[in-house]
Amino acid sequence: MNRRSLSTEMFSRQLAQTTRRHFLQGCATGLGAMWLGMQSGQNQASASVPLLATDDDPHSVRIPAKVKRVIFLHMIGAPSQLELFDFKPDLKRLDGENCPQSFLEGKRFAFIQGTPKMLGHQFPFKQHGESGAWFSDRLPHLAKHADDICFIKSMQTDQFNHGPAQLMVHTGQPRLGYPSIGSWVTYGMGTENENLPGFMVLLSGGRLPRVGKALWSGGFLPSVYQGVQCRSKGSPILNIADPKGTTRDHRRAMLDTLRRMNKKSYDQFGDPETLTRIEQYEMAFKMQAAVPEAMDITKESKKTLEMYGAKPGKTSLANNCLLARRMAQEGVRFIQLYDWGWDSHGASKSEAINEGFKKKCSDMDKPVAALLADLKDHNLLDDTLVVWSGEFGRTPMRENRGGTEMKFVGRDHNPSAFTIWMAGAGIKPGMTYGETDEVGYNAVTNPVQLRDFHATLLHLLGFDHKKFFVPFQGLNQKLTGVKEAHVIEEILA
Amino acid sequence: MTIKLPSMLHSRLFSFIALATIYCCLDCVGQLNAVQVGDVVGEEGVVMFNRDVRPILTKHCTGCHGGVKQAAGLSFVYPEEASWTAEAGDLEDSVLFERVISDDPDERMPPPEHGPPLSKQEIETLKKWIEQGADWKTHWAFEKPKNADVPKVSDPKWATTSIDPFVLSRLEKENIKPSPDAQPARWLRRVSLDLTGLPPTLQEREDFLSRIAESKTAGQKNSVYADEVDRLLALPAYGERWASVWLDQVRYADSKGLGVDGRRNIWKYRDWVIDALNKDLAYDEFTVKQIAGDLLPDAEMEDLIATAVHRLTQSNEEGGTDDEEFRVAAVLDRVNTTWQAWQGITFGCTQCHAHPYDPIRHEEFYQFAGFFNNTQDSDLNEEWPVVSAPIDSSQYESAAKLDREFESVKTEIWERQFSAVSKDKNWQPLTGLMAKTNNQTKVVVKTVANRDEYRTVDTVTKGTQFTLTAPVPDGLKQLTAIRFTALPLDSEKAATDSEWGFVVSHLEARLILPDNKTPQPIEIGRIVGDEPMPFHDPNGSLNPKSNVGFSAYTRIFAARSAALILKEPLEVPAGAKLQVVLKHRILALGAFPLIARRGHLAVSDSKDFSDLLTDKQLNSLKGKLSKLKANRRKIKSTSVPVLRERPEHLSRPQHVFIRGLFLTKDKQVQPSTPASFAPMPKNLPANRLAMAKWLVSGENPLTSRVAVNRVWARLFGVGLVATEEDFGSSGDLPSHPKLLDHLAVKFQGDFGWKQKELLKELVLSRTYRQSSVVRPELLERDPNNRLLARGPRHRLPAETIRDQALAISGLLQTKMYGKPVHPPIPAGVWTPFSGKDKWETPKRDSEDRYRKSIYTYTKRSIPYPMFAAFDCPSREVNAPRRLRSNTPTHALTTLNDETFVECFEAFAKQIQESAKEPQQQVKLAFTSATCREPTESEVNELVMLLDSYADDKTRGYQTLASVLLNLDEVLTK
Repeated sequence: MNRRSLSTEMFSRQLAQTTRRHFLQGCATGLGAMWLGMQSGQNQASASVPLLATDDDPHSVRIPAKVKRVIFLHMIGAPSQLELFDFKPDLKRLDGENCPQSFLEGKRFAFIQGTPKMLGHQFPFKQHGESGAWFSDRLPHLAKHADDICFIKSMQTDQFNHGPAQLMVHTGQPRLGYPSIGSWVTYGMGTENENLPGFMVLLSGGRLPRVGKALWSGGFLPSVYQGVQCRSKGSPILNIADPKGTTRDHRRAMLDTLRRMNKKSYDQFGDPETLTRIEQYEMAFKMQAAVPEAMDITKESKKTLEMYGAKPGKTSLANNCLLARRMAQEGVRFIQLYDWGWDSHGASKSEAINEGFKKKCSDMDKPVAALLADLKDHNLLDDTLVVWSGEFGRTPMRENRGGTEMKFVGRDHNPSAFTIWMAGAGIKPGMTYGETDEVGYNAVTNPVQLRDFHATLLHLLGFDHKKFFVPFQGLNQKLTGVKEAHVIEEILA
Repeated sequence: MTIKLPSMLHSRLFSFIALATIYCCLDCVGQLNAVQVGDVVGEEGVVMFNRDVRPILTKHCTGCHGGVKQAAGLSFVYPEEASWTAEAGDLEDSVLFERVISDDPDERMPPPEHGPPLSKQEIETLKKWIEQGADWKTHWAFEKPKNADVPKVSDPKWATTSIDPFVLSRLEKENIKPSPDAQPARWLRRVSLDLTGLPPTLQEREDFLSRIAESKTAGQKNSVYADEVDRLLALPAYGERWASVWLDQVRYADSKGLGVDGRRNIWKYRDWVIDALNKDLAYDEFTVKQIAGDLLPDAEMEDLIATAVHRLTQSNEEGGTDDEEFRVAAVLDRVNTTWQAWQGITFGCTQCHAHPYDPIRHEEFYQFAGFFNNTQDSDLNEEWPVVSAPIDSSQYESAAKLDREFESVKTEIWERQFSAVSKDKNWQPLTGLMAKTNNQTKVVVKTVANRDEYRTVDTVTKGTQFTLTAPVPDGLKQLTAIRFTALPLDSEKAATDSEWGFVVSHLEARLILPDNKTPQPIEIGRIVGDEPMPFHDPNGSLNPKSNVGFSAYTRIFAARSAALILKEPLEVPAGAKLQVVLKHRILALGAFPLIARRGHLAVSDSKDFSDLLTDKQLNSLKGKLSKLKANRRKIKSTSVPVLRERPEHLSRPQHVFIRGLFLTKDKQVQPSTPASFAPMPKNLPANRLAMAKWLVSGENPLTSRVAVNRVWARLFGVGLVATEEDFGSSGDLPSHPKLLDHLAVKFQGDFGWKQKELLKELVLSRTYRQSSVVRPELLERDPNNRLLARGPRHRLPAETIRDQALAISGLLQTKMYGKPVHPPIPAGVWTPFSGKDKWETPKRDSEDRYRKSIYTYTKRSIPYPMFAAFDCPSREVNAPRRLRSNTPTHALTTLNDETFVECFEAFAKQIQESAKEPQQQVKLAFTSATCREPTESEVNELVMLLDSYADDKTRGYQTLASVLLNLDEVLTK
């Protein structure tokens, strides 16, 4: 990490020389002091240290870690673990029977009313690989990676509506206004490629997640750490394209004039912010070339495109998986993919386990498997962590919205059990951690809260979740929140 | 990219700094670094508890001995619980001292595993403090501000307003000279942008400078400055600029947030804020109207619209969400926002536990929540209750008058009828009840006391219809009314944890005669419900075409009843049976059938009811009501969600939530304010109005301080208390405590809570007039200019950056008020959850394309990209202050965003037409962008740029315009 380009280095040095050595430090303390400013009284005096020209080892806060970047695949809507990974033969035997009252007591559901019926898995399951991991027949491609994957089948959350639950997964809080994992990670680790944002977000089209940008927001962290949404159609990053008719030469000449004018301002006012601004305009100019380049999949071979099922110009998970590999190559720190349409209530054909869900599986299976294979081929799986998740699980009961039997087969939201998997750097491949009960309703062996998952993720990236915090509004804010969180040691390689 | 780990002091204080030197540098919004925080007050060698001792306790002790954790039962947050640890003048008897100096690792505090020992200096401070009397003081911000004597300074003439001696005195103590005055034109630009969010025009600049040139004395010059400030404060743009400051505090948005984030029609509130500021409504009234305008006697339309402030909370329309959960969330957000915006206290901490640093207890959060828990709103998609606000504010008064009359007539009608309904002796309960449903919903009948009630069992199915049949009690010869009472399934639990409610979509009543199997329909004349102003008119249940009627919408937490009054008294033969059919058709949030799951019937033969039908007074009231309604309908209006109190007999109890969770309730509490603060006014009932008055009473130590600090921060870049959001023990100490108190006292007193008066005092001060040139020798010592040895220089807020570009290029439209507008937005951004929610950008010839930023539609989940890039909060929750980032996204926005490109084009045209010679064109253009004349080298640079486009002049001028509008000097004040 911390690979800084020569030009940035030169620029900083030049700044240090031309403006007295403490110049950027002034800014730096500005940032540090801002966070510390939320602390009490005089503590900051010892903490507001210069950030450049320091003798201290900046790595000392970090635990040695293999993971340099994360690709986080989030399936918006909560895919049914019972139709993908969590094989429950006992549930199949109970299919069609009334749900026992003990399952219902003290529970809150989004749509289930009264006494619903049990619903067995809808697709056949088989074991794969040496690890013998269970996959349903909906995931033939991914099943080939059984021995690369580490499953956590005992995930739990405390939110049962999509909006708050998605926020829980991505920010550790069910409310808006907190930094997402990607923001924490880029805040802590910076970027490897200064021409690209450190935290990039790709959406498969369709509906935006309910809480929208809040899922990749920087919360109370500076806005620079928020995720940058890239589009596979149109301008990949907002305003990245020059206005019509403006050539790169025009822009360069314009920026040269602007830089000279701003330098005069600096000479007059001596405000360090002016120099930072000059640099940001230069950075923007570089991004204008680097981002479209990274987003251009037409340069990929036909074979690669086919492996992913990617089609240039389309908005799809397949394209995004391929882009994720390209961004990983470019050193983007946190690559967040959102796929949508996994909310299989059975209220409509597209959201039914026996209908739309099948298409969702086939649209996801091939590209995600291709991503794992491709990362491996590029030796990127050695320092990249791939995470796959939903925001909660689905019930072993069939949904009976409005108290009636529904036309399509569906399952309601279940915060008590869901499956997350990881592959790549830092984790034990080919293992399954945690178990649900015999019907997949509740995590019973080694239940994992989202905060434990977050602690583990941070650990994999080299952070002690207890020490990685930002003081804000009177509290040392952590991704893992105020409740105690545990790193899942058992899954670490 | 560098990460720096500061020395470990204590795990609590361990702080992590990371700086993306590559992408970001934040403007300096922080603390004094090289200089000490806190004014140098008190005599040499005198230890002051709040300045010297409390920070040591907060740093080393309160983590374990605080509000949340009170190890060994000791808390340093509540002095009465901790004072025994320090014996005045007696070190030997002071446990506190003994433990911090101990060498024994079992004795020493803090214990080695919790943190390092206190430094020598800290121990020395504690020692002196104990020797000097161990005086425990209340945290500085919780004591009323007191007016301090104006400090003596060596150059009293330097001061132009009352704040200057405070600033100068501090500078003199630090041996720093203030900066000279900025050039008049630079002050003019600074003050114009600060007060109105717009730069001065060339004409305004010229007028001002010529008046300055004419002034011969300093006094004359001062009055030119003062006149200019008066002129600016009188502009409508003043209210528009400062409204955005307030809207951040109260999380204003035009959408509902959370699940679906649909549109919310609440812009009348934004207009109210603009108006209130322009009229300079005193801050105390501004406060009372917003928190409790509806409870003011004879509330005017503005008073009601003002209460929309607390309807800006998020609501959840997602299918399958619990309305009660999000109603409660909104109530708690009202508590947090009130404390943040008005008190600068992180009260939200106490939602789950006692405040870790400040003397506020867990239950006090819920006592305060009690003030907000009895408003009628309940997370309904319909946003009820709303007020119908006239589009044209000149009709506010007449509309409010009609509304008040309407409400009083309606209440009178209801009271006359309900008095008959509520008399128990009028009713005979039914027994021998038989209940049937039309679908899978199962129902049983139970006898409770002297009546039979039906209850559903388990799953209820949508569209359930109950047929209830029971013999008419012996002896009842004549039927005049039937009463239906619905109950929660678990009444005791529902009192605090409500159940899903019901809507009786339609109802029918019949009489089954002993000899006749065909039921005989009973004609119902009207239904009288138990609320004077219900959301659904209960009479809707009589209309077969209507889906709504008598209801507990959407939640039920206590018995709800309605009386069905027969059109004519009906003779009942002996042995007859009564049959009532209740139909339900409403499904809440696509998931919950709103069905009356439990209920019972009663009948009446009382003349009270038959009399109602012929009650002449009642009929004339009804006539009056429809006339009022017709007149009101003539006033073109738009709806605004507002606060309205529930009638007392339907009030909700407030409980403490265990660990902040609304499902786990602890003891019941009554509305009140925290005990550590001055008590509420005693002569008033403990409601929102009393609480609002408590906020602005002279006894409240925070309101005025927080308000003046906010205004200060907007002008000077950092507040006197840098942590605008936290005036508590974990927040910063003020850089100039006496100055803060001086202003706080003056704001409440001399200025009569008028923000314009306060602003005048600040912008006319010498402090504000100083040149903003950064002196190299001070950059290191005071990088954030907390000592105020120079004038403010900061990147402008998002709205001002956009409005300024529109203004300079001549595109800005000054039309005020109205529905939010939809200026150009980059393609692909607008992807709302609901496809019906459209962003329709007005064409280039429409004024709505170029309105001031304050009128731009604000959707929480899709912030307007330009605003988001420049650090506007997304307004989900309140944002006490904005950060000022400096990122490449800014450059991409102001170079390539459609609005800015249109500004370049328009500005280019202006430049081209402004003069013949490029030299002169450049001079004028530069002056209009920066409010100063360019130097020769600047002119040359820009003319050279124009020259390089000799073959494409249009592009040349546009490029010139883009350079000018992107100048650091233009983006910065």
